[in-house]
Amino acid sequence: MARKMLIDGKLGNPNGEEIHYDFDLFVIGAGSGGVRASRFSAQYGAKVGICELPFHPISSEVIGGVGGTCVIRGCVPKKILVYGASFGPELQDARSYGWELNERIDFDWKKLLQKKTEEIVRLTGIYKRLLANAGVKLFEGEGRVVGPNEVEVVQLDGTKISYSAKNILIATGSRAQRVAIPGQELAITSDEALSLEELPKRAVVFGAGYIAVEFASIWRGMGATVDLFFRKELPLRGFDDEMRAVVARNLEGRGIKLHPTTNLTELVRTENGIKVCTDHGEELMADVVLFATGRAPNTKRLNLEAVGVELDKIGAVKVDEYSRTNLPTVWAIGDVTNRMNLTPVALMEGSCFAKTVFGGEPTKPDHTNVPCAVFCIPPLSVVGLSEEQAIEQANGDILVFTSTFNAMKNTISGRQEKTFMKLVVDAETDKVLGASMCGPDAPEIMQGIAIALKCGATKAQFDSTVGIHPSAAEEFVTMRSITRRIAAGKPKTNL
Amino acid sequence: NVNIIEFLGKWGQAIARARCAFAIMLHLNEGRFWATWRCVLRGCVPKKLLVYASKYSHEFEESCGFGWKYAAEPEHDWSTLIANKNAEIQRLTGIYKSTLKNAGVELIEGRGKIVDPHTVDVDGKLYSAKNILISVGGRPFIPDIPGSEYVVDSDAALDLPSKPKKIAIVGGGYIAVEFAGIFNGLQSDVHVFIRQKKVLRGFDEEIRDFVGEQMLLRGIEIHTEQSPQAIIKSSDGSLSLKTNKGTIDGFSHIMFATGRKPNTKNLGLESVGVKLKENGAIEVDEYSQTSVPSIWAVGDVTDRINLTPVALMEGGALAKTLFANKPTKPEYRAVPSAVFSQPPIGQVGLTEEQAIKEYGDVDVYTANFRPLKATLSGLPDRIFMKLIACAKTDKVLGLHICGEDSPEIIQGFAVAVKAGLTKADFDATVGIHPTAAEELVTMRTPTRKLRRTPSEGKTDSEFKAAAGV
Repeated sequence: MARKMLIDGKLGNPNGEEIHYDFDLFVIGAGSGGVRASRFSAQYGAKVGICELPFHPISSEVIGGVGGTCVIRGCVPKKILVYGASFGPELQDARSYGWELNERIDFDWKKLLQKKTEEIVRLTGIYKRLLANAGVKLFEGEGRVVGPNEVEVVQLDGTKISYSAKNILIATGSRAQRVAIPGQELAITSDEALSLEELPKRAVVFGAGYIAVEFASIWRGMGATVDLFFRKELPLRGFDDEMRAVVARNLEGRGIKLHPTTNLTELVRTENGIKVCTDHGEELMADVVLFATGRAPNTKRLNLEAVGVELDKIGAVKVDEYSRTNLPTVWAIGDVTNRMNLTPVALMEGSCFAKTVFGGEPTKPDHTNVPCAVFCIPPLSVVGLSEEQAIEQANGDILVFTSTFNAMKNTISGRQEKTFMKLVVDAETDKVLGASMCGPDAPEIMQGIAIALKCGATKAQFDSTVGIHPSAAEEFVTMRSITRRIAAGKPKTNL
Repeated sequence: NVNIIEFLGKWGQAIARARCAFAIMLHLNEGRFWATWRCVLRGCVPKKLLVYASKYSHEFEESCGFGWKYAAEPEHDWSTLIANKNAEIQRLTGIYKSTLKNAGVELIEGRGKIVDPHTVDVDGKLYSAKNILISVGGRPFIPDIPGSEYVVDSDAALDLPSKPKKIAIVGGGYIAVEFAGIFNGLQSDVHVFIRQKKVLRGFDEEIRDFVGEQMLLRGIEIHTEQSPQAIIKSSDGSLSLKTNKGTIDGFSHIMFATGRKPNTKNLGLESVGVKLKENGAIEVDEYSQTSVPSIWAVGDVTDRINLTPVALMEGGALAKTLFANKPTKPEYRAVPSAVFSQPPIGQVGLTEEQAIKEYGDVDVYTANFRPLKATLSGLPDRIFMKLIACAKTDKVLGLHICGEDSPEIIQGFAVAVKAGLTKADFDATVGIHPTAAEELVTMRTPTRKLRRTPSEGKTDSEFKAAAGV
């Protein structure tokens, strides 16, 4: 079926009659992607309705909140906790700079949690206002797709209301998954971790992704004993191997105990806490066990199979390059499509969707050279190809430039923690294919680098830029010696 | 025969290997004959360490909003800081001395003076050289007014025997502003005296306004439109500063950060025919060659852009020109720089005022927001960001930011600006979330669009009026 461009929200009918729809666009899910798509579509003149589950910091199949994961139980509260945790080690370092602090500096977890909750409530309110200001109609309740042009919203009191819509956008995001081991009900996911009543004294984190590593850092920074278990040799699979090793080293340097190539097999409640059993036969006690073992798209209750929308094997909605499903009037963006699960990517997909469907300008979201950050302490940030990806994809030789140093701030505090920075360059074209950094301020530093990289900047262009001094970032423009040159056609390793 | 220029060539390599940049300088003060490394001993490095130390007081305040509790107000011990700072500088000096040695450079300590186009006199001993490079840098300038002997400059301020209780800082440039932040953060009572209405003349006007406001919010008092006339020491040892507007008493210290002058006295330059500018800076061409073909000059002594990385660039270009058979001009377009005030500033490219003058039609995007950290700390910290784009070509002409982490943020953006990238390129780049930096790739609506009228050029004030500035 040919794709029709919609102008003024009116779809021409072969008989010459116009079909009336309640909405030009109905969005299920008011998270990062959904809110962006709604507002921008409304700005193009579309009549937009959106529904979202009632608000609570801890999500469920029937609980969510305007703002979505990012605002309520993701990026924002995470960053707040990282800030809170970062102060811990900072205060220790202050002493070498001449500050006299009491031996005892207390940390009030409850106060931090309370302020965090105030902030996410404030932000959810702002998102509601953004929607209202854009003229988008917000419904509270659970939405599902009933037909190619019909959605049904189950309200809080159980009543169901149907709405017709020329276009339906699914933006229901994803939720944390648990591991099916005995005692799994004793474990928590990141939702609960962001709303714990008490700061754990002993924390066990199971998982190797950014969520696992971030929470390990958060709790360690606040003084907890932290054991991090993961199945591979190194955490953060998919990232540059050298950077993964740097992160692991830094986590250990901060006192987090790493347990690579280990699976958890059972959790048992005891008087002394939760007994955690591993496949190496170890046992340890914990106050909190966090499963950070992956997130799954929220598609179970949307009625998609019945309507004929194709899902992939993990339940993500399948979409084309324009974010359209196999049904021409049904679209999907954000984590529910499991492309790149980052807020700014969901925003991009939402903007492109609005432009395509209502702006008269078909626009594909560009998923190449998207920068991202892991907010462990110290953080990691990357853009472009990892060294392994570059070797695999390149026709010719790859040049690797690296810089390792102890940040100036640490020289006085005596903290032994190396910052590591890396550029991966195509030897033939001199283009910078990838940049990565693990060290303080890496995420802030990488943003500007990402622009240059995305636009195909060469190493020579980097080098012709004068440095800012003294900074860590200036290392990116002063890497003169090649650390290693990898000839084309070298096989990759699999850690 | 000592080839003094070879000294710099290998030096350039050594500089690249060592992480921190520096330029060697033969100190020419009367009676002092020692080699110092400006950046390491008396500039960038100790400055930054003191900035780190002084930021903690703000961080203690912030941390309270994040649940941290102090049984007692943290207090600062100045002598611990200075001792640790000096130990670090000693360590770095040791490293650089051996780097020089390993590079095969012959270091001669003494007071150098040029005798003729190919001869240098160091403490009476003569050395012939194919090329001579002058890179003696600059020194703080203190106006000759009554009581100036009681004044400390930036050199001395980095090594005071005790922390100032109440300090007057005269000057409005980056050094004054940085030291104001340092002493304020270390709990001194800080008063800044400037001749202008705002600090940081030459910077983007909105940045000047913003950083001034933020400094006031942190407790620094700024006395504007005041020129220093005299310093008076009273019987109890305290100092008073007399300006055109009156006298303020009770200072434990008075610091002048009133400019720096090139160190060109007593180098023998005039007799050998090296041309100087009015302020004493050595005149050089685009290749850093002076009016005498065998004599060259780089860095602050030439008063081009007085920044360490620029001195590095000039030195590196010169080494290529002389010894790699590759004449190379240092490139001064889009040189980024930072001011480590609190909050700090990062900038690259043109100010709004310069952009209007040079390009006429520009679009200005600004953001002024409370960062996430401040919403919890409750402190009045804000971040200001400005992006200036050419309306015709969409090229990003200038970026100015003031707020936490600005210097680190601006570096990557400087690569983009130097490469001539457009606002559209910026907008096509996905943000990193949550950061402050992502704001610069998500500015969608111009705050103001400035256009010259097609028939005639507007005056600056007409322009600004139309723009609502």
